[in-house]
This record gives sequence, structure tokens and C-alpha cells, in this order.
Amino acid sequence: MTENVIPIKEIPNYSRKDFQSDQTVRWCPGCGDYAILAAVQKALPDIGKRKEDIVFISGIGCSSRFPYYMDTYGIHSIHGRAPTLATGLKIANPELSVWVITGDGDGLSIGGNHLLHACRRNVDLQILLFNNRIYGLTKGQYSPTSKPGTKTKSSPMGSIDEAFNPIAVALGASATFIARTLDTGVKHLDQMLLEAAAHKGSSFIEIFQNCIIFNDKTWDYASDRKQQPDTVLFLEHGKPMIFGKNNDRGIRLNGLQPEVVELGHGITEDDLLIHDETNRNLAYLLSQMDYPDFPVPFGVLYRDTTKPAYEQAVMDQIHQAQEKRGKPDLRDLYMSDYTWTVEPDKRETQAIMRDEMGTGPLDEEYLDNMEKSLTGEPQQVNKIHEGLSIDPISNLLFGRNAITAQAGDSLERAIKLMQDNNIGAIVVVDSSKRPIGIFTETDVLRKVATQIEDLSARRVVDFMTRNPDVLQSHVPIAHALYLMSIHKYRHLPIVNEDGVVIDVISFRDVVKYIQDYFV
Amino acid sequence: MIEHNDVKTFEEVENVVIRFAGDSGDGMQLTGTQFANTSAVFGNDISTLPDYPAEIRAPAGTLAGVSGFQVNLSSQHIRTPGDAPQVLVAMNPAALAANLGDLEIGGTIIANTDAFTTGNLKKAHYDENPLEDGSLKGYVVHRVPLTSINRRALEEFESEMTSKDIDRCQNFFALGMTFWIYDRPLQTTKTWIQQKFGKNPTIAAANTKALEAGYFYAETAEIFQTRYRVRPAKLPPGTYRNISGNQAIALGLVTAAQKAGKPLFYGGYPITPASDILHNLAPLKQFDVRTFQAEDEIAAMGSIIGAAFGGAFAVTATSGPGIALKSEAMNLAMVLELPMIIINVQRGGPSTGMPTKPEQGDLLQAMFGRNGDSPLPILAPATPADNFNIAIEAFRFAVRAMSPVVILSDGFLATSSEPWNIPDPDSIEPIVVTHPGPRENGNQFLPYRRDGETLARPWALPGTQGLEHRLGGLAKAPDTGNVSYDPNHQSLMIDLRAEKVHRLQEMIPPTEVYGRKSGDLLVITWGSPFGAARSAVARAQTAGLDVSHVHLRHLNPLPRDLEAIMKRFKRILLPELNTGQLAFLLRGRFGMGNIESFSKVTGRPFSINEIYKKIHEMM
Repeated sequence: MTENVIPIKEIPNYSRKDFQSDQTVRWCPGCGDYAILAAVQKALPDIGKRKEDIVFISGIGCSSRFPYYMDTYGIHSIHGRAPTLATGLKIANPELSVWVITGDGDGLSIGGNHLLHACRRNVDLQILLFNNRIYGLTKGQYSPTSKPGTKTKSSPMGSIDEAFNPIAVALGASATFIARTLDTGVKHLDQMLLEAAAHKGSSFIEIFQNCIIFNDKTWDYASDRKQQPDTVLFLEHGKPMIFGKNNDRGIRLNGLQPEVVELGHGITEDDLLIHDETNRNLAYLLSQMDYPDFPVPFGVLYRDTTKPAYEQAVMDQIHQAQEKRGKPDLRDLYMSDYTWTVEPDKRETQAIMRDEMGTGPLDEEYLDNMEKSLTGEPQQVNKIHEGLSIDPISNLLFGRNAITAQAGDSLERAIKLMQDNNIGAIVVVDSSKRPIGIFTETDVLRKVATQIEDLSARRVVDFMTRNPDVLQSHVPIAHALYLMSIHKYRHLPIVNEDGVVIDVISFRDVVKYIQDYFV
Repeated sequence: MIEHNDVKTFEEVENVVIRFAGDSGDGMQLTGTQFANTSAVFGNDISTLPDYPAEIRAPAGTLAGVSGFQVNLSSQHIRTPGDAPQVLVAMNPAALAANLGDLEIGGTIIANTDAFTTGNLKKAHYDENPLEDGSLKGYVVHRVPLTSINRRALEEFESEMTSKDIDRCQNFFALGMTFWIYDRPLQTTKTWIQQKFGKNPTIAAANTKALEAGYFYAETAEIFQTRYRVRPAKLPPGTYRNISGNQAIALGLVTAAQKAGKPLFYGGYPITPASDILHNLAPLKQFDVRTFQAEDEIAAMGSIIGAAFGGAFAVTATSGPGIALKSEAMNLAMVLELPMIIINVQRGGPSTGMPTKPEQGDLLQAMFGRNGDSPLPILAPATPADNFNIAIEAFRFAVRAMSPVVILSDGFLATSSEPWNIPDPDSIEPIVVTHPGPRENGNQFLPYRRDGETLARPWALPGTQGLEHRLGGLAKAPDTGNVSYDPNHQSLMIDLRAEKVHRLQEMIPPTEVYGRKSGDLLVITWGSPFGAARSAVARAQTAGLDVSHVHLRHLNPLPRDLEAIMKRFKRILLPELNTGQLAFLLRGRFGMGNIESFSKVTGRPFSINEIYKKIHEMM
């Protein structure tokens, strides 16, 4: 994946016509959306993308009809959810230029949550919020950006809701490009679109848009050519904040508050705030400036180019994982857990074992077994149990040397060794002192006494028990006791880590140890 | 030295159901999982079921905080985690109180007496200590002062570990005891401890010590008692692993994407019991798995629509409440006709319901829970491991029909586990995906021009020259997909979308009838009741009853041969973990009056016995 280099595509010489679809535009005559559509179609030839790499995604509302009129890829989705589709699309194909078209109801009411999170994640989207401060498609209810007191069919006595400030919302949600412009301000709108398209990350543009039917003239203070110089502050990065018909007014900081000042009378441009797009605090301050107390700021309020775009971070992790773990292999993935193998031949054996067990409803048999167990008294636990289950066998050993015999030794020699050392068992070892058998007093009683006449002529190896159970000295005494009790062993060889015999413990040793608990 | 094979050491049993129960912080899931893995590696067939509280950490010692894990191990093929546990390991009074009702009569209780303090008894609503007041007569009770013995066993670690840390090892002590009783080797767990805690040698050593101490303690305390041996099962040859439904579905999704040469996009919002699918996929980035934790359920659904439009294999998983939120976007996905998977790991409803308990109450929601006529293909896995197959099959369906596909899993299938005979990935057929190529001739591209056979529209991807098109939720004209309110267009498009889903019947293999092909009684199931129903029918057949079983993995469309099969039986019994939703559908679809719904809505899966008894009653 990583070695694939994306070929640089040649961008044809597009005109705005290349972006017009064959669908008849059906907004109300005089709607601000026409102007925005025209501006977008005019800007797209200049963003450096082929048109098949451009996607418009909208929600529901008047503005959301937008994609139908664009001859690009597009989805007219559902109310408020456009940012979610756009995010998924961008992660699936980060090379696309993805635009979200939304409105104040779509983006700030029903889809408010998604707008916040798309901004927060810094997905490389261009989010154009058409703000007309009204619900148009549903015929004129107040919206989340309507000024308090707005009289509509659903608020006949005036709305009582406080209005959202879209710029402050985007800023609070950590969008990395935040701008404001106007539907009919063709040149400024075009410039903002190009800047947003060039930004890698979440770009948010609030576009003042006029609804001629339900909320006409809501932005007149800003769009009216005569008033605009006094009501709009056009921001330019690195330039002082000047406005007014005669460029004679400006914004100055008074303590922590901005204020409008007249230039002259000792106040010069040097006293004015200089716009800095990268200053988040300044952006917040600007977001709070509103008409009529202040001119409303237009332009790029905030731009942060230091953060990686979300989909880029997603792909970075994919590439990291691929580099670290190499070529992915499904077989390895399936096997990445405890596995066990059932061999075909072993299956035969198991089948045979199963047959020996018999078939039929064994649940009942199991119940019978449980009933049998019921007759046993529950075991009481005491200190001896505790001690035996924890104390190691080494507690029984006192540095005695193991008395051993060789395989070739005679019975006579073996019995003599037992008599001389007063022990009940002797371990028969190979040349590396590893046990091959054990010869005990029981063997003498059962197999030798009265049966064998010439003890020197017979070898111990023919009378011993081969391959005896052995234990290491760190094992709890309980385990030795257990083996002794179920197998009726009286002696158990103790070996070290290399399997060399170091001692033999007897049942007597254990009994003596238990006795000590009572003393 | 004498011969010792005359000593009867082991009781051979076919299967054992054991439940470990303790406080949610006692590590009971881990203990149970270790027991299950060890048994699986030993060669038993196994099936497991965790039962954990919705509360992350309910107050210690309370009934609300009891966490349990049940393991069924057998020398035979098994299909369920077992009806009733035969052995209950109770780490405290609450664990005993919460689980005693499930324990088989005469079953074995291993209780940690140290936890039966006045305070804990009170929290479990016991007036008297049940270990002493004779109320457990009829059970085999092993009273083990587990906490104190474990502390003594780990004395050597006192300088390095707090007493809390030491007590935290006591689940391994309990595990060690059960390993002894059921003759399991310690090695699998020892290896696991090394892998898990190897970075902290003290913790690893202490847990190993606790495991061994429990084993050796059991030897001593149970010295004159029976041990049980469950022989390895006769499983088909192959390499196996233990797998839960949520693990299996994740592997299936990755496999499907790989088999199509696609990135896998997963958009999800955390919800019980589906979150594990996200957890299982997130670490698989090397397979180009792009996981996206969305801000809410709706966003998760929206994101997979966008990803599917962009050409990824897109999937989301949630549970009932999440489906409710996603429904509008699912409907959009349906009319956009894009391939994607929506997994519903069903839980107890309605509303928030019982997040950790299984139910099958969302079938009608999947069928009809959207405005307008909105047909979506619906598949349902039968067993935990079947989730793997169903995920791949779902993508085949989605791509063929250019449609979102719903998978109905449930909390039982998702969290319980069974051995999975690991397939050879090369043996899995590729998923062939075609996208229309670029066109420069200016010919109009028709995004809703359908394939004559499948009725699917083309999956044209953004980035393809000349195929620029717009999709939307508004009613549309055929071929162009342009907005159209023409009555004929609306009617035609609704019919075409339904017919397209219907034609997926061609993808469904002939229905297998377990038992006679006609007769007196047919049991029909879908989803997780499969295991209990199949076992119950098998038992009934052995008992000479004329009963057969059909299990449905495809709910929309239904298999083409289903109606004919149903008509060959006098009566039909339909066990469902809801109040009869499939029964309702089948009655409506086929107009049959002989379908009897067998409903269970307790948040618990069916037991074999329940279904067997019901069959018995009906015969």
C-alpha cells in the first residue's frame, strides 16, 4: 500500500459550465442560494481538482438540494447527517475533495452534534453553512440562529430561544479554518471558497444567505451596498482592523474588550488591533462582535495549519501497522489464539475410546454419579490440610544421601544396602544417576522371599518396578501424600531439576511430619 | 511397590458443566476462559457462556455485582453451554445466592468460606450462613477457606505485593482446584500467565504459585473423593481455536474485505454487547481495517454510507437501541442501493432493556422498522463460530444486490464461544466486485440502470471520470435516478427494490431438514436457539419421536424451498427468544395456521430440556 504513489492528475481547463448538472434549479426566485451555487461553480475550476474527484454531500433543507445541481459526485442525504457521510467517505478515499452543504436548521439543530464532531476531528471537509436564520423548506419556523423575538408561525409572540453563533460554535468545536461571508458578495465568497478548499482540515464557512420568502432582508445591514462599509469589518491577516465608508473607523482593544474607535484625534492605525488568523483568542473575540454594537467580521477569522487532517491520521496508523507487522496474512490472523490440532489418525483412537464408554443419554448417568457422591461427607479442612498443601517436600529432607543401586547389581547387594541403611526402598539408577526403577521391601516380600533361592544370581533390575513416579522437592507434601494414597506407594524418589535422584521419601516421613503439627 | 491400577481414581463422565461465579472484580471470566481453553486444548468439545452484570463495578459483594462464566466440556459434540451447571464455584455469598437456582439438584458447590462474613452475607440477603444452616442439604458442598490458604501459599510474595494483590490471585487458586478435580493439565494456563504477566515476574510467579497451590490443595482436601475425567471429543480433524461470536464476526468481516481486495471500513458507537466487534477490529489495521468511533449511532451509520459510496467494504455493529437510531440512515442506504453490513447484536428489550442478556426481539424491527416499504436482506448466524461464515456471506449478498444487509446476532451468540475448525483462507472463494470504469465519450451514465439478472445498479465510485452522479433519499426515476414524483416511477422503484432482495433466494442453498423430510412435527428456529433446539430434537429422535428440525440462517428472503418443507409436516413448533416474531412472519407469509410459537423472554437462552419437554408435550 505504502509504495503506491498517487499519480499527479492533470487538471483540465474547466469552466463553471462543467460543473452545472442537467437538473433544473428549483429554488424560489430571488433566493440567495442561486448566488452561492454560481459562486461555487465559478470557484471549482480553480481548486486544482478534477471534477470526478469532487463530492458534494448535503442534508435536508432548501440548501441541501445543492448537490443535484452540481455535475460532480454527490449525495442528498438525510436531515443533519451530511457530515457523517462525508467523514466516512473521506476515510474511505482521502484523495477526494468533499464538500458539505448545510443550513442553520440542518447543521446547527438536528445535525448539531455531527457538525461539532466533524470540526473536532479535523476531517478535511469544506462545510458551507447557509445561514438564513429560518426554516424555509418547512415554510417558516424560527431556527437556532433566529434572533430572540423572531415572530414566525411557530413563535407568534416572538421566539424565546437564544440564538447560536455559528462562528463561535465552530471555534468551540475546534474547526481549523473558520470564515464568514455573504451570498451576494461574489468576489469575497469566491475567495473564501478557494481558501477553504486549499485548507487541509475542517473548513467551516458561515454564509449569510437571504430567504426571500420567510425571512427577507435579515442580513440587509450587511448586504446593502450603502450600509456595508459601516456594518462589515473585512478581515485581512496582518492588517489593522479598519472599516467605514472613509476607512476612518477601527477596532481597538480596551483591556480585554474590543471597542470601536474613530481614527484621528490622536488615534492612529498603530493603536488598532492587527488581525492574526492563527490567534485563537483573537478569533473568539472577533466571533463575539456583532451588529449593531460592532461591525460584523467577514473573512478568515481563524486558521490553524499545524494539525493533521483526520483521514490522514487514520491512514498514517494503517501504514504504521503495515510497516510494523509486515504483509498481513489471514492464516496468521486465524491462528492468533490458542490452537490445537486434531489429527486424522488420532481421531480413530478417540473414536474407539468413545465406543468403550458406551453411548446413550449420559446425562442420567452423570446424575447417578452425582448421587453417589452425595453420600460422601464434605471434607473438613484444617491446619494440616493447609500446611500439607503448601509446605514443600524439601521440608522432609535432611540432607540424607540417596542410597541407589545399579541395574546390574544383584538382589543380594540391593537387599544388603537396604538392611545396612535401614531403608525400605532403594532406587535403581542409570549411569547419570537418573532413576530407572525402584525396589522396595514390598517387592522383597512378594517377589523374592521364599521364591528366589540364590540372591546373588539374580539381578535387581528384574524385580524392581520400572519408571516410578518421581517428584521434585519444591512440590507440596500434599502431592506426595496424594500419590502415596491413591497408588498405595510407600516410597517416592525425589529428583533435582536434571532428574538426578537426591533422596527417597517414605510414608513414614510424611506421617512424622504430620505428627509435628500436633506437637 | 505394588500394582496400583485396582484403585478407582477417576469417574468417567461424558460432560461437565461448571460455572465460576464471584464478584465482577474477581476475574471469573478469566478463570472460566482459562478452564475452557485448557479443556479445548485437552481435546474436549466446549461451549462457554459468560454472564456478567451491566454495572461495571457494582459494590463489592452485592448481588448486582455477581459475574459468572459457564463452561460445558464434553467428550461428545455439544451445541450449547449446558442447561444447568453441575458445579458451582462461588467466591462469595452473593455468587452463591445468584447462581444456586441454576445449579443442578445434587450439584457440587465449592464455596470460599472466608468470604462468608456477616457483612457479605447481609449484602447477599442471607440471614443465616447457608454453608452452616443446612439449607444446602442435597448438594455436595466443599467449604474451602480459599482466601486464607491462598494468602499462606503466597506468603513469600508479601514483601513485594500488597495483600490486595495477593488476594487477587485467588481466582487462580480456585482454577487450580478445578483443574485437579477435572484432571486438567496446568500447562496451558501457566503459559498464558507467562505471556500475560511476564513483564511483571512477581505477579506471574504469584499467580502460577496460586494455581499450583489450588491444585495441590484440592489433592489434599479431596483426597478420598472422586475425580472426574472427560475424554477428548471426536472432533473432525483440523486445527481449532476457541472463538466467540464477536471474534468470529470480526474475522469474517476482515476476510470478506481481503477476499474482495477492499479496505474494511468499520463505523461504530460503543454499545453492549456489540462493542467487542470494534475492539476486535481496531488492532487489525495492517489488513487496511479503518475503524471509526463515531459520535453517536446515527453518525456511525452515516459514516458507513459515505464509506460504501467511496468504495470500501463498510460495516457497523450495534444493538437494538442503536438500530432504532440508525433506522432513518439505514433507509437512506436502502434507497441509495449501496452495499454495506449492519450488525445487530440483539439484547433484551424494549428500550434500554437488559444490555447484557440475549433476546431475539428485533426481527420485526429489521424487517419493518423503517418508514415506507424498505426491504433489507436479513441473515442470522446459528452458532458463535457461524458468525465468521455469515459475515462473509452477508458481503456476498450485499455486493450482489447492491443493498445494505442486516445480520441479526444476539448477546448469547456474541459472547459465548465454541471450538472453531480454522479454515484454510485460500479455500474461501473470492468476492468479485466490479465497478464501472471511466468514460470519456460523454455518454450519459445511468446510476440506476439495473443488471438484468440481479437487478443491482452499478457501484460507480467517486474518482471515476465521466460517471459523476447524484444519489439521494428523494423518490427517483428508474435508470437516471433523478428526482421524480411520477406515480409510475415510485411504484416501479418500490417493486424493483423488493424484487431485487427476493432474487437473493438464488444465493441460498437448499434447506437441510434434520430428521425425516415429512412427518408429525417440525421444529423451526433461527439464531441462537439452534444449539438447544438441535440437541433437543436429537434427543427426541433417539427417544423415538417423529420430529424434525429446520434452522434458518436466512430470514429475508426466506429460502425458496421452505414453504414446501413446512407443508410436509402436520405441525410446526417455533421456539424464539421473543413473543413469536418469526412465527408471525411465517403465518403471514404462508397463511399457515399450524405454527405454534414457543416463546421465551427472560433474558436467558433456551435450555435443551425446555425444548425437549415442549416437543414431548406436543407428541
